[in-house]
Amino acid sequence: MEWMITARETGKTYLMQGNEAIARGALEAGIRFAAAYPGSPSSEILTMLGHVAKDMNLYAEWSTNETCSFEACMGASMGKVRSLCIAKQNGLLVIGDALHSAALSGCKGGVVLVVADDPSAHSSTNEFDARHQARSASLPLLEPATFQEAKDMVKWAFELSEQLQQVVMVRGVTRIHHGRGNVTLGDLPAELKAPEQVGEWDKIVAVNWFHDLMLDKLDQAKEIFEGSSFNAYVGPDEPDLLVVTSGSGWFYSQEAIDTLELKEQVGVLKLGCTWPLPKQLLLKHLNRSKKVLVVEEVDPFLEQNVAAIIGHHPGIQVEISGRCGGLAFPRTGELNPDLVRNAIAGIMQASFPAPSSTVIPVDEQVVIPLRELTFCAGCPHRASYFILKQSLGMQVGGGLVMGDIGCYTMGGQRAGHYGINALGCMGGGINMAEGLGQLTRLGFKQPVIALAGDSTFFHSCLPGLVNARYHNSNMLFIVLDNSATAMTGFQPHPGINVTAMGEAAEPVSIEKVAQAIGCQVTVADPYDVENTTEIIYRLARKPGLKVLILKRECATLVIRKGSRRRVWVDPDLCRGDNCGCGRFCSRVWGCPGNIWDYEANKAQIDEVVCIGCGVCASLCPAGAIKVEGGEV
Amino acid sequence: MPGGRDLKNDVINTSLCALCGACLDWCPYIKNLDDNLVITFDCNVTDGRCYSVCPRTHTDWKLITEKFFSDAESTNEIGNLKKVYLVKSLEPVPGQQDGGAVSALLKTALEENFAEGLLLTTTGESIEPVSFIGHDLKDISRAAGSKFMASTGLRKIMEASQQGIRSLLMVGRPCQIQALRKMQMKNIDQLKDMEVFSIGLFCMWSLSWDFMDYLQHEYPGAKIESMAIPRHGVEIITSEGAKSFSTDKIKEYIRPGCHYCLDMTSELADISVGAFEAENGWNTLIVRNSRGIRLLRHAVEKGLLQVEEYPADQLQFLKQASFNKKARNLYNIKELVELKAVKTPVELSHYQYLEGVNS
Repeated sequence: MEWMITARETGKTYLMQGNEAIARGALEAGIRFAAAYPGSPSSEILTMLGHVAKDMNLYAEWSTNETCSFEACMGASMGKVRSLCIAKQNGLLVIGDALHSAALSGCKGGVVLVVADDPSAHSSTNEFDARHQARSASLPLLEPATFQEAKDMVKWAFELSEQLQQVVMVRGVTRIHHGRGNVTLGDLPAELKAPEQVGEWDKIVAVNWFHDLMLDKLDQAKEIFEGSSFNAYVGPDEPDLLVVTSGSGWFYSQEAIDTLELKEQVGVLKLGCTWPLPKQLLLKHLNRSKKVLVVEEVDPFLEQNVAAIIGHHPGIQVEISGRCGGLAFPRTGELNPDLVRNAIAGIMQASFPAPSSTVIPVDEQVVIPLRELTFCAGCPHRASYFILKQSLGMQVGGGLVMGDIGCYTMGGQRAGHYGINALGCMGGGINMAEGLGQLTRLGFKQPVIALAGDSTFFHSCLPGLVNARYHNSNMLFIVLDNSATAMTGFQPHPGINVTAMGEAAEPVSIEKVAQAIGCQVTVADPYDVENTTEIIYRLARKPGLKVLILKRECATLVIRKGSRRRVWVDPDLCRGDNCGCGRFCSRVWGCPGNIWDYEANKAQIDEVVCIGCGVCASLCPAGAIKVEGGEV
Repeated sequence: MPGGRDLKNDVINTSLCALCGACLDWCPYIKNLDDNLVITFDCNVTDGRCYSVCPRTHTDWKLITEKFFSDAESTNEIGNLKKVYLVKSLEPVPGQQDGGAVSALLKTALEENFAEGLLLTTTGESIEPVSFIGHDLKDISRAAGSKFMASTGLRKIMEASQQGIRSLLMVGRPCQIQALRKMQMKNIDQLKDMEVFSIGLFCMWSLSWDFMDYLQHEYPGAKIESMAIPRHGVEIITSEGAKSFSTDKIKEYIRPGCHYCLDMTSELADISVGAFEAENGWNTLIVRNSRGIRLLRHAVEKGLLQVEEYPADQLQFLKQASFNKKARNLYNIKELVELKAVKTPVELSHYQYLEGVNS
């Protein structure tokens, strides 16, 4: 709800998503610049800022990749305006090098980097903990525990950033970014700061002799954190158990203590400032308890840093447990209220009643069928993987496919007939393929394919493509160009003709870029299964580097435009189970639009989800699937 | 009963595949380009048409013989036959090899309404085979001359059926004729309204398409235009002139599946045609049943074909050559069976006498 983030209603409370609260906080801080590359669970922030950018008189962009976005913020910082960069945990590592340089040089206008961690990797390849980067780069780190804090902390982070002349990192987790809670609005600035002229000696340079200065900034941050109200303690003066927590662990801990009725025995120290740790505050509380449980998402970051403080103070006698010590929590995966309740109950030897009211009798339970991740109806990637399966099946030893990150990553599962042999990070596919493709000179025979989506192509494939072209690796690079950053919600990328702010832009042509690098480029349509199968078959057999662009707009974008052709099954032509195909359309092809009519025992089209691409019609061996106005 | 999964295990994975094309174009799971064939998914079908018509799965020669060659004389070496002739075309077609007998028979079939359509094979840009359904004399001359690499021509039966052709004359390799007979025995949908007359070619082997890569490698930059194997070796016509090399070289490129074939003379065809080794410009023709005799008689009556008695000594040579192929490849099959690489090998019963001769 963009009106909430721009509402001039100080003191008014709204139910807001964490991402809205963060955007609002940035607007209350008076940002003039925002940049990000999309990634769940933080994509909404820049989408919203882009939509309100003109009204709120700021500039917002979907950058080509995360390091572009962060360094753009550093550039804007030279003009002494406030800049917000947003990334997810993987994106943070793309920023990594720039982040460590920025920490050395420091900033002028405030720079806040919001990083969304995705515990359990609900929408990620992998879970890991962003906070190590703050420690590694010696940057102050804040962790909001509530939606109100998400807003207030971002605003405060800008003040802190300008006070220290240092980048400040704010780390959220999925439950904060995508959860919702009450947020009371603060003031939006009446006037926005104009960019200032950069003076002759007003430099931002990263040189190693600033290392000491960088650590001084961290010491200053520590002093400020000691008195910050974002760190709070709730509980008895001398608790039997001290829970130290940050982020979403705050809600879980309070709920557990309530459920277990342990308010008199267990205290919670909620830390909003988690690097550098407010040591004095911690020592005060550690001295008052014998047992400490650290509740935090992903890695034992707090736990180990608290343990280090304990280690330096031999007088403190506490038993510390968490993700690492005492194995109070599983080593991996997201925490939840039950895990935290069980951990506290275990340490306190407390019992709790089973919540009987929520148990549903077996005969009343609704059986939810297992559903695998799959491509949408009409998705061009389904056709691309079917084509790959066919054309690579005819290669010597089968072809090898190096996957990449996007909707098409699902092709590694059944949706793509397990069509990926290797998968790493964004831009990883083309580089792995370059290496494996070089082995042909040592006698390696299998054709090597790399995949990348259009957004991934711009994000991180360009150096890889130059490398593969320069060293003429024996590989086929396939760009699955669906004209969208579809996985994260259709944010613009350099191949799209509109920007985050809704302004028209001249798209960058993937074909021309690849040609300019010196690649031989073929363009084909994944909906044309027969011809494209042959194209890939032939290209994969040719020596040297080949580039193929499989161009077909994302089916979801097509359906948003409204027009769809009707597709239906002619029951007289469908041979049902007498067809030798064994239900090819609904069993193997696997489009959600292809279903089976169990009464008639014939194939059927689910007209609610079918987008009318007609690819199944071109594949039905009986020619029983008909398309309004003829096939593709 | 076996289906696609068994075809994959018994024929594709064991390299027995003859690339006849019988299994193609009616199934969404079997895909072919060049001479590479893949079965992409399991169809779950337990009695698969693909398996039952494959020339490399169990073939009931006895039943086929009863149905199509009931009035023929049986020979151990060159199959059922009515008579063997020495023939040559009286109206030569440009590009024809040897006596041009096949072209003459095709012309007869079209003009005497034996066939509305012809299943023929020509070559593409280079020497790769391209099969098509032909309808006229131009198509016949396009298809004249030998091809050396395997084509999946039998798949064109589907196209012929879609075109509504009621009588088709097919020219094919022994494996393709075997598969055609199996299709006819199974009475597949596409053959319900279509009569197929078959001219089988003599065949020792066909070449893998990798041979083209070899030629490209040997003669870089040259366009490979045509190929022939006269007695002195292999002759390749390229855009940069004629090249020749020993036949030993091409033996490396014989398709693995051809080493398990026991049929040199297309024993299940209505008429079989091959080279006449003793003298250039003539063909050996084996007419195997009364349908074959009818077509041959028309060709002679129209003055398209000159027919002579087959020299008795040459018949012995022909039989010996065919026997040698059987003996050699039977040995290969037995080796595969002993390795337990194949469950249901190429039908052996028809050739049991060979084992006696061999041992």
